[in-house]
Amino acid sequence: MYGGDEVSAIVLDLGSHTCKAGYAGEDAPKAVFPSVVGSIEQSGLDDAVGIEKESQSVSEAKNGIKTIDSDKAKTKRKLYVGSQALGYRRDYMEVLSPIKDGLVVDWDMVDNIWDHAFRQCLLIDPKEHPMLLAEPSSNPQQQRERTAELMFEKYNVPALFLAKNAVLTSFASGRATSLVVDCGGGSTTVAAVHDGYVLQKAVASSPIGGEFLTDCMKKCLESKGIVLKPRYSFKRKEIRPGEFQTVDLDFSNTTESYKLYCQRVIASDIKEAVCRAPDTAFDETAYANIPTTSYELPDGQTIEIGADRFKIPGILFNPSLIHTIPGMDKFDHSTPSRGLPQMVIESINKCDVDIRRELFSSILLAGGTASMQQMKERLEKDLMEEAPQAARVKVLASGNATERRFSVWIGGSILASLGSFQQMWFSKSEFEEHGASYIQRKCP
Amino acid sequence: MADAKDILGLPKTHFPSTQEKRPKPPKESQRKPDGVSREVYALMGGLPPLMPTLDISQLKRKPPSDKEKISWQWLPFTSSARTDNLKLYHWVKIVNGVPPTGDYSFAKYNKSVDIVRYTDEEYEKYLTDPNWTKEETDQLFDLCEQFDLRFIVIADRFPTSRSTEELKSRYYAVSRALVIAKAPPSGDVSGHPLVKDPYNITHEVERKRQLSTVLSNPKQPERKDAEVLAEAKRVADLRISGKDAEEPELPANTESVAPDAVAVDCVSPSPIPQPPASTADSASTPASLRMLRVYLRTTLLEQMVQAASSSAGLRTIKRVDQTLQELGVLKPKVPTKAVCAEHIELRKEILTLLNLQKQVQYKEAEVSTFRDNPYSDTIPTPSPPKRSHRGGDQDRLFIRDSDGFSGERVGKREHKRKAPGRYPEAPPSPPHSKRARKMKASDG
Repeated sequence: MYGGDEVSAIVLDLGSHTCKAGYAGEDAPKAVFPSVVGSIEQSGLDDAVGIEKESQSVSEAKNGIKTIDSDKAKTKRKLYVGSQALGYRRDYMEVLSPIKDGLVVDWDMVDNIWDHAFRQCLLIDPKEHPMLLAEPSSNPQQQRERTAELMFEKYNVPALFLAKNAVLTSFASGRATSLVVDCGGGSTTVAAVHDGYVLQKAVASSPIGGEFLTDCMKKCLESKGIVLKPRYSFKRKEIRPGEFQTVDLDFSNTTESYKLYCQRVIASDIKEAVCRAPDTAFDETAYANIPTTSYELPDGQTIEIGADRFKIPGILFNPSLIHTIPGMDKFDHSTPSRGLPQMVIESINKCDVDIRRELFSSILLAGGTASMQQMKERLEKDLMEEAPQAARVKVLASGNATERRFSVWIGGSILASLGSFQQMWFSKSEFEEHGASYIQRKCP
Repeated sequence: MADAKDILGLPKTHFPSTQEKRPKPPKESQRKPDGVSREVYALMGGLPPLMPTLDISQLKRKPPSDKEKISWQWLPFTSSARTDNLKLYHWVKIVNGVPPTGDYSFAKYNKSVDIVRYTDEEYEKYLTDPNWTKEETDQLFDLCEQFDLRFIVIADRFPTSRSTEELKSRYYAVSRALVIAKAPPSGDVSGHPLVKDPYNITHEVERKRQLSTVLSNPKQPERKDAEVLAEAKRVADLRISGKDAEEPELPANTESVAPDAVAVDCVSPSPIPQPPASTADSASTPASLRMLRVYLRTTLLEQMVQAASSSAGLRTIKRVDQTLQELGVLKPKVPTKAVCAEHIELRKEILTLLNLQKQVQYKEAEVSTFRDNPYSDTIPTPSPPKRSHRGGDQDRLFIRDSDGFSGERVGKREHKRKAPGRYPEAPPSPPHSKRARKMKASDG
């Protein structure tokens, strides 16, 4: 309003779980869809060639060679992006994610996702709109340069800016200095923001994210004998009014990854519906007699979920609970298992002493996983015990679950529509003059 | 209103037959306007409006066009805050076909800090330092300019690991040297803030160290202290209640001790964890003992002694103490119940002895005066039976007799007796009484 100036910028946040895109200046993204793609190998050539081509493009992307050599690889597979396309079951369709451990591994897929967002969801021509992209708080230089290249050369955007997730979340809550706890799909990141800049040395990250918790939920249910039937695998017929009968359909050509993807969708819905963060550290015996909640699966069967409701979120606070879940043995034990409160304390202690108090009193919760019930209260309670006495601990989270999920996008929307931001864009002419490495200077 | 009652099916008022006829004529008048339905007309009050509310001729007319013509256009703009000539588009208010001129309105917010830069010769001349290479100093200054002297962020992004204080110290030292070097020969720069208050790195380092110790005080020791105090209180409570059972004859004492302890407990939370007093003769101060509600016999003894000897005057008490000292038992060495009782008995007996000695002295004085002055008509002294007892050593008899002494009082108690009925004879003669007064005998 007063500090705002609409230049019709587009804000794009490609997360590990969902991709959010929309116009700057709005209060929610228009396009929200899963950031995975379904891919079908087009021609039935022998798999060795197809895989070789794929791995070649992946390794090229890793080396940063400036060949957007998509033609070679693309003809071999067709990609389907978007919730509508993914919802429809196709034979031999594999579900793949372009992002692994927070870094992009397949630029071709990223390209397709962006294309889908621009042309199918938002219906815009990227040539006319400056782009604000959200990137992970510890994004390596090489990834940033690659992003800039792809945007400028393929989409010909007039101007670009890469902002860190933590900074955008901080701006979304109106603060320049805060500690951002981002519980996203792929990972949980704790980053300290001071005066609008992320302190790189104080970023702590853990691979336990929403998707991981969904997997744990799935394993818990399977260990109790509940089989999650993907939606495509059955049909419900109404035999008598009000009564349904489930008929199993057989689709033998469906890939494992697609089946897993569909099962994950159901498990994640269960997780979002019934899970609650426990008030104190999760204890098997204490929660053994807790009353169960019932949940109706898409195929009609009703399941009862008891202590698992609290165990799954408890993993965030105490990762050693993973060992109690049967089937999760292949979890990588290389990273030290520290819970969320410990990560927060660790991150704050790595910062300069002068700002620690301020960081303690403005801890922001963001991300889809953070919208779990009682998450904020539990984190506040744990932190008050671990934190030094002299510091006042305050955890802030917007009450609205939508705002928590999209806080990064909302921060980008605010930033891109500010009048005093318009001087900070990294323009195409600057890119042509100085090259992609100039982005380090322009987008600190 | 009659309609409403009709609708509701309410019975009309008395005389229903006449009422039925009455609504009909009023309805006729109410139905007068044709375009308006009856109910709507009733809402307005059943009467046509007094004044027209809208001027129909105004409705179809366009607003007067003598004002300026305002339109909005999507126009490109440039900003002086940008170094390239990126053209972004935004909505511009066009007044009378003339687009606004001038710089971008937000360009004036582009402020930055003035950083003094140096040339290579200046560096060689003034700014060399053993701990800092030229490249590092150059990098430092670049970062200072980029981040507007946000030293915490600069320390985070500095390639080699230097602490914030070191960076600040180097920057301020260099700037100070430059200011002094560049000062005109006639000018005086001692007022310049950089020159006046140099950066004191040792002070800063010390301050930060102290702050970090304050902030790293965990809550554990505090909690342990609180737990120990609670334990101590509980144990002392048990002991007090045990002692209450032992000493029923002095409930007043314990009651005075207990509320005292409660009051003191509430008022002063002692930070020193005190171990509960294990024996009654611990050497702690009475105040702290009272807090732990320890029942100390010595204090009790003092109180009992005071109670017993309240009848005697201060001088008598001193004499009693003197006697005790001569005997070698001023205070009981082991203040158990039996010993204390015996001690009090002893005191009483000494008191009696002293009194009797006083009486003896007094009587002898009287005798001597009578011998000297046989013709005085003073009332003779008490009867022989007393004399026979005078020399007796039986304390018990004396105790009884001392209570029965007439006029010769034992303690101040009899001073205050108003009824003189107990005295078998009149008070002694004035000269005797004078002498008696010396020995504190009463005048009756």
